[in-house]
Amino acid sequence: MKLFTINKLAYAALFFLFFAGVTAHAADGDLKLEAQLILCSNAAQPKSRPVAPEIEQKLLRLPLKWQHYYVVNSQTFSVAKNESKPVALGKSALDVKNLGGEKVEVTLVGFGKITQSLTKGQVLVTGSNDDSSLIVVRQVN
Amino acid sequence: MNQEQQLKLQAYLDGELPEREKRAVLLWLQENEEAAALLAELRNTRQATVKSKQHLSLPESREFFWSKIEREIQRLEPEKTATPEVSIFTALRRWFFPAVAVSALALAGLIAHFNVPKAAVEIVADADTPTVETTLASGDATTYRNASDGITLVWFSDNTPIKSKSPATIN
Repeated sequence: MKLFTINKLAYAALFFLFFAGVTAHAADGDLKLEAQLILCSNAAQPKSRPVAPEIEQKLLRLPLKWQHYYVVNSQTFSVAKNESKPVALGKSALDVKNLGGEKVEVTLVGFGKITQSLTKGQVLVTGSNDDSSLIVVRQVN
Repeated sequence: MNQEQQLKLQAYLDGELPEREKRAVLLWLQENEEAAALLAELRNTRQATVKSKQHLSLPESREFFWSKIEREIQRLEPEKTATPEVSIFTALRRWFFPAVAVSALALAGLIAHFNVPKAAVEIVADADTPTVETTLASGDATTYRNASDGITLVWFSDNTPIKSKSPATIN
């Protein structure tokens, strides 16, 4: 019994190449992102909307002084490759550019520019113009 | 002598009669000369036939016997060669090349498992380390990254006391 033939191996290689191509193409598509303005506090605020548990876990491990994080505002948006999207969150203004390959360039107007790969599950945190607050950028489904 | 009696004589000669009829035919032959003469004629004819048969059967010589075997072998040989013989190259093509391909894949997998991940981790770590540019005239940026948690914190600090907008202090 033949386990492998040249033809079968060739077809398998073509399939994987095709799959890799599709995956690469998908990775270079639009990025759907979410930017959140997070209020930071050491006192629990039951009336405020808490951040998602997966974000809270990450924030609690940062070397910050706060223990509680709440969502003040959030925006979900898509950015095409090599395109930019201006985002206003509270007193802060962002400009998010999709560099392709799940890499973004986040410009915090007045402060500076961050270039960072932002795959799913990765979170980018930076400061905000609002008091006791952070800006969180992540990729969403 | 009628036809039935002639047939009975033939049957007697061929040994096909039962014992009782055989005895009756014997008695009849002793009494009837015509019947005895016919039986003698039948017997002669039979012997002549047997002798002619023996004469017609040709003796098979030793050479002819072996030539028959040789022809039979020649007749059967094409059937044996009809089944395709696997050449060395074909065997190599069937087993060696796939084995080499599988070995190459396995080797690539091993290399990917033992070597590439280290390099990849380094490359990914480098790629995930953010590039930060500050536009503050007298400020700087602090970067903290926890790769296992997948979180990056970039904190811009304006060192000018009046313009300081940093909302938090890093512990």
